[in-house]
Amino acid sequence: MPEVIIDGKRFEYEGEHRLLQFILDQGLEVPFFCYHPSMSAPANCRQCMVKVGQPVKDRETGEYELDDKGDRVIRWFPKLQTSCNIQISDGMVVQTQETDDLVKRAQKDTLEFILANHPLDCPICDQAGECPLQIQTYKYGPEGSRFEVKKVHKPKRVQLGPRVILDAERCINCTRCVRFTNEISKTHQLTITSRGDKNYPVAAPGREFDDAYSLNTVDICPVGALTSADFRFKARVWEMNQTPSIDITNGKGCNIDLWTRDNLVLRITPRQNEEVNDYWMPDIGREAYKIFNENRISRPMQKLENEHVQSSWKNAVETLAEHVEQTDKNDILFIGSPHASVEENYVLMTISDLLAGSTPVFTPHIIDGAGDDFLLTDDQAPNTNGCRLLGLDEQSESELKAAVKKAKLVIMLSDHLIDRGVLETSDFNDTFLAMFATNHGETTKAADLVIPVTTAAEHAASYVNVDKRIQRTVPAKETKYTNRRLDLEMSEGRLDRYGTSFDNWRTEDNKVDCLPLWTISNEITNRLGLDVRFSNGREILSTIADTIPAFSGISYQVIDEHSGIDLNKIEKTVKS
Amino acid sequence: MSTADWKNYEPVLIPNTKDLHKIDVYQQNGGYSALKSVLTDKKKWEGPSDVINEVKAANIRGRGGAGFNAGLKWSFMPPADGGPRYLACNGDESEPGTFKDRKIFEYNPHVFIEGALIAAYAMEITSIYVYIRGEYKDYIDMMQKAVDDAYEKGFIGEDILGSGYSVDFYVHSGAGAYICGEETSMLESLEGKRGYPRVKPPFPAQKGLWGRPTTINNIETLSHVVPVINKGADWFAGIGAKNHPGPILYGISGHVNRPGVYELPSGIPVLELINDVAGGMRNGKQLKAVIPGGSSTPILRADQLDGVTMDSDSLREVGTMLGTAGMVVMDEDTDMVDMLWRIAHFYHHESCGQCTPCRDGTGWLEKILLKIKNGDGEIKDLDLLLDITTQMEGRTICALADAAAWPVRHTINRFRDEFEARCKKSVHAIA
Repeated sequence: MPEVIIDGKRFEYEGEHRLLQFILDQGLEVPFFCYHPSMSAPANCRQCMVKVGQPVKDRETGEYELDDKGDRVIRWFPKLQTSCNIQISDGMVVQTQETDDLVKRAQKDTLEFILANHPLDCPICDQAGECPLQIQTYKYGPEGSRFEVKKVHKPKRVQLGPRVILDAERCINCTRCVRFTNEISKTHQLTITSRGDKNYPVAAPGREFDDAYSLNTVDICPVGALTSADFRFKARVWEMNQTPSIDITNGKGCNIDLWTRDNLVLRITPRQNEEVNDYWMPDIGREAYKIFNENRISRPMQKLENEHVQSSWKNAVETLAEHVEQTDKNDILFIGSPHASVEENYVLMTISDLLAGSTPVFTPHIIDGAGDDFLLTDDQAPNTNGCRLLGLDEQSESELKAAVKKAKLVIMLSDHLIDRGVLETSDFNDTFLAMFATNHGETTKAADLVIPVTTAAEHAASYVNVDKRIQRTVPAKETKYTNRRLDLEMSEGRLDRYGTSFDNWRTEDNKVDCLPLWTISNEITNRLGLDVRFSNGREILSTIADTIPAFSGISYQVIDEHSGIDLNKIEKTVKS
Repeated sequence: MSTADWKNYEPVLIPNTKDLHKIDVYQQNGGYSALKSVLTDKKKWEGPSDVINEVKAANIRGRGGAGFNAGLKWSFMPPADGGPRYLACNGDESEPGTFKDRKIFEYNPHVFIEGALIAAYAMEITSIYVYIRGEYKDYIDMMQKAVDDAYEKGFIGEDILGSGYSVDFYVHSGAGAYICGEETSMLESLEGKRGYPRVKPPFPAQKGLWGRPTTINNIETLSHVVPVINKGADWFAGIGAKNHPGPILYGISGHVNRPGVYELPSGIPVLELINDVAGGMRNGKQLKAVIPGGSSTPILRADQLDGVTMDSDSLREVGTMLGTAGMVVMDEDTDMVDMLWRIAHFYHHESCGQCTPCRDGTGWLEKILLKIKNGDGEIKDLDLLLDITTQMEGRTICALADAAAWPVRHTINRFRDEFEARCKKSVHAIA
């Protein structure tokens, strides 16, 4: 097998590899700025310099030439090479900063150049704490500055587009943003203007950077030059907890991280998953942080004399139970939701079966033409396939409307059907609508009873995306009834481990008075004398895996190990 | 012809022939006979590879600055696969001190066109682009006229001279950036993009214009192909210096009595070029320094010039290079600090900004030099300048960083007393 020697250690490899990526894949390190694994390597930051050589082979025998000590004779490249754009080849010998002083010096020199015109304002920079330039400078940079002449001053606070703001002074001209619009989103909206140390990225005159994926450039900017108009100066990364989750605004289910502070989701960034979204996500998915924080339903609400009033949980349970008892089971309609998780729909399905002997219906949330051939899909819901695989009764919008008109009691799960134009308020004139929901909307306005349930940021639950890939969320926010230190499903951040209560900003105002659907359903079924009890998402999925073949063998553990599982493969296994 | 006989040399690229830029006059003086010979004389030239071998044997070393053997470069082109292949002719002449290709555009455009056509035929190329600096508006117009005339006469286009060989020729105006003279930046610019040098490999011969095999040659280099075909490789190889043969267009500027472009054999003694060809120093002043081949080539002190000749070997021995043979001559009144700052200013202004060491290094160099120039320099600034040049050299995609670093390093090293004096003066003034 071909081999490459890095800092005296031998590594075997197969296939083609870029040297820098290969070094990183081995758990070793070489500093870099312009390189990004999903884009072309322009080799312009010149930070990833290494010393590269090839062993000399005898032309006639094909054998390696050996020196007096019996070591291979190495022919070194006359200059240091940028490792990002070099393909490794058999026998290649590489020396990084770990073993070569010239490489070390070159990397230090490059950092000195980068810092020459870069503002040294880390304390006020939005990138502080997650800035590769800051980190590499500490690790590989010069100890002081010899730059005693005037820095170049470039434009500040340039609104490149609706969501991205540029501080040109901080730009180190890595061109990652420009290459992103050229190679990934393919809108070609950015370019570099001016020359030399005066250059910076811009959109064409009269145009704005309104790419549907524009905020990815903020993620990949290695300095604080590109910032999110929405998030800039809101929080420091070290004050936030980072929780893995998935995007619930779209059928793709992009892997994301939820960044929380003081129990508010302040930022959403993509989490790398080659199978789904690579390193990227659409801007619209990032705006979902508002869904988790704002306009939340906190405490149950009941309609009295056509006005919503807050109700106690006990009263809500009693009200719903009474209506179930008083309504002929043939007149009860359960509506599942492609916007809710597999577990929630399964809970609804179980109750529906026990109470009405019927299957919940659902209607997909598809907008033709809303998708693109990248990460946006026509499907606006994260779990349409989850509903299908569970066996919910998929109905067209008109069929659903007819079913609602016929029913006397509708129990609906988090699907704002009036807001999305499937139903009208008048459809519920003769119908009691009980709705489990997370946020206020026109549909909850029409509901006679609203029971608040947790969002994807508050519970562990799974979703099946448009490609039939099951992925899951992890709770990132506390509710009135949870505590991140007691909830084992919650991700643990630095502040949880080392911080004080004060550091955590444990503001009670930011906690929503809501429960996971399975918790409140236990109360309802208990009141109705049914023998069914759900503990948590983990156990519910386990039950689903035992009973529904499409989910056979699936558990949170398996999902976590593989960053999501393609259910198409499970289906094939089940069928065979 | 030996170097000593240079006074008897008869120019072939810019001869003293009236109206040679007109195609009829060019033809009357033997123009396009080399092309005709190559395309139609099957006894003499069995195929394109014969032409490459002849050029290789002549040892035409590229006149754009790097001095690579042109024929060898042509032989790097992969075998034709039926797809497009390009010849990109580099007429982006913008290094301070270099102004010789414009003479060809002005006085003898057809010798370049003919040379380019022969090169294209030799490499089985289907399209020729000539990239001319945008500021050369008049020369662009002249070239376009010459190309149009050559099309009309059937030297360019379909089935040239009934040979079955077809090629197109495009005159392309650059937008005025020094970096676009760098070969891969020129390709980017030709493709309509920002002039950024490309990382090599892949080299243009493998992946050039629009990803296709491309050869890039200088205007003067291609023009030399015509006399090589007409008079033979031996004739060319026998002119001037052995390792860097042939005539050269010397562009002489600065404090001499007769600045201008002179076509003479390579290997002429530097002092003869200054004193005999360029008419000696202006106003009877003493010679102080010479930049031999464009502003990026290391400067030489007057006392280094004895026995130095204008060819790569001799110039290398004294720590400089031939470059474009655009010689800048400076007299005793020249202020080296001011001169070096001006050069540094140029490279700072022209850095494309792609690579960190060049983007931020060129500016740093200029600012320190400005500080020294303004009387605020310190001795430690000189060492810092030298250190910065070592941090820049060889660390970038193209050679602009080297071009910016060399003048600084060599001017300080060779005229350090002047720089120190300026620094001491400022310290004294402050004290």
